[in-house]
Amino acid sequence: MAPSLRTLYVRPNSQSDKSSIPSQQPIGKHSSLLENMSPMKLCVPGERLCGVEDCIPGTGTYLRHGHIFASLAGYVLRKNEGEELPVISVVKETEAQLLPDVGAIVTCKVTSINPRFAKVHILYVGSTPLKDRFRGTIRREDVRATEKDKVETYKSFRPGDIVLAKVISLGDVQSNYLLTTAENELGVVVAHSEAGVQMVPISWCEMQCPRTHAKEFRKVARVQPEYLQA
Amino acid sequence: MAGIELLSDQGYRLDGRRATELRKVQARMGVFAQADGSAYLEQGNTKALAVVYGPHEVRGPRAKSLHDRAVINCQYSMATFSTAERKRRPHGDRKSSEMSLHLKQTFEAAVLTQLYPRSQIDIYVKILQSDGGNYTACVNAATLAVVDAGIPMRDYVCACTAGFVDDTPLADLCHAEESGGGTSLSLALLPRSGQIALVQMDARIHQDHLDTLMEAAMTACKGVSRVLDGVVRQHLQEVSVLTA
Repeated sequence: MAPSLRTLYVRPNSQSDKSSIPSQQPIGKHSSLLENMSPMKLCVPGERLCGVEDCIPGTGTYLRHGHIFASLAGYVLRKNEGEELPVISVVKETEAQLLPDVGAIVTCKVTSINPRFAKVHILYVGSTPLKDRFRGTIRREDVRATEKDKVETYKSFRPGDIVLAKVISLGDVQSNYLLTTAENELGVVVAHSEAGVQMVPISWCEMQCPRTHAKEFRKVARVQPEYLQA
Repeated sequence: MAGIELLSDQGYRLDGRRATELRKVQARMGVFAQADGSAYLEQGNTKALAVVYGPHEVRGPRAKSLHDRAVINCQYSMATFSTAERKRRPHGDRKSSEMSLHLKQTFEAAVLTQLYPRSQIDIYVKILQSDGGNYTACVNAATLAVVDAGIPMRDYVCACTAGFVDDTPLADLCHAEESGGGTSLSLALLPRSGQIALVQMDARIHQDHLDTLMEAAMTACKGVSRVLDGVVRQHLQEVSVLTA
């Protein structure tokens, strides 16, 4: 299995009057963090952890009146990130639900295509699987970066393909999450040919079936060399 | 006044409690594996079960979603066997809709909904046995379920009822005391900051008594919060022992 892709992204702080929400940083697997920590302190929602001059608030905490309070029930983790102040966060044994955020790389499965867009179900955010599927849309002009108007969705995706995409917008009232594959590393990762066999990519726009040797058009993702198994 | 005496001369209530004494609160978290969070709470004879799903994509009309925060969807229902006489309509009647709305308002005040824009958090509460303090037992059970689901909250939400008899405030009313015709005040509080999430009162009392009544209710809520705190800490320790 290829090593998991760890994506760290920061949500811009939305300023409100009294309490400010700290930046979100999804932590992948924290068992490795827990094993080299001394017995950690338990905390419950609403418990005051420290003042804002001692630490920076991380996930599972919120800021109010110059003090950092816990918002989850779990263990308090204090980590030195290399800046002046350590980051204090609350971690739980079980992962809480993660939401796709703007700029996140998501793994999705194509459910239907249309000359104007492709509808997908978002399955993974970064490397964490989602308990529930979210719906997303890849518009025709977001499939690739060059020659946007000459894109044919039928030649870029097919239903059942697994696609790596990036979230560009949370969508408005009418639409779902808007995704884009307009980068070299984004696009179709796994696709099955009409014969039902998993295809092998041969270029950025074609994949070939190993059994029938038929070539099919897809917008293929260029997987980074370090994620390929030798 | 003829009828049942809610507070005897020696200061004992119908079930033998003192005026400011709470009923026994017992709770368990993580009772269901399928839901994201669940809890079962008993407050005296009132038994409530709360289940939380989410945050997930908004179901139904997309127009219900909010662009900057999560929508909290609550449903309150009572089991048909929960009252002395079999309940005909467990949910959908006016009382249940009002309770669901109150629960929604209470949790919108406590849950940090700004962290989950365009998503929905479902809280379902069911009363299995009703003996007064239905709303308050629901709030307490739902708090534990939300903590179990790992949804960030500002603070616990603890709720308790209070009444007033013979110039004495009573804490945590049972069904007989509630339906006796006297005042019944339900208070949902965020204990550490002392902020009130919801306060509701039935019947009338004199304005001068309101402060004492609120004080009694707030003290009772803080007592409940200590019990809930103990339950959460114990559950965390149990879970950590299992997965360590």
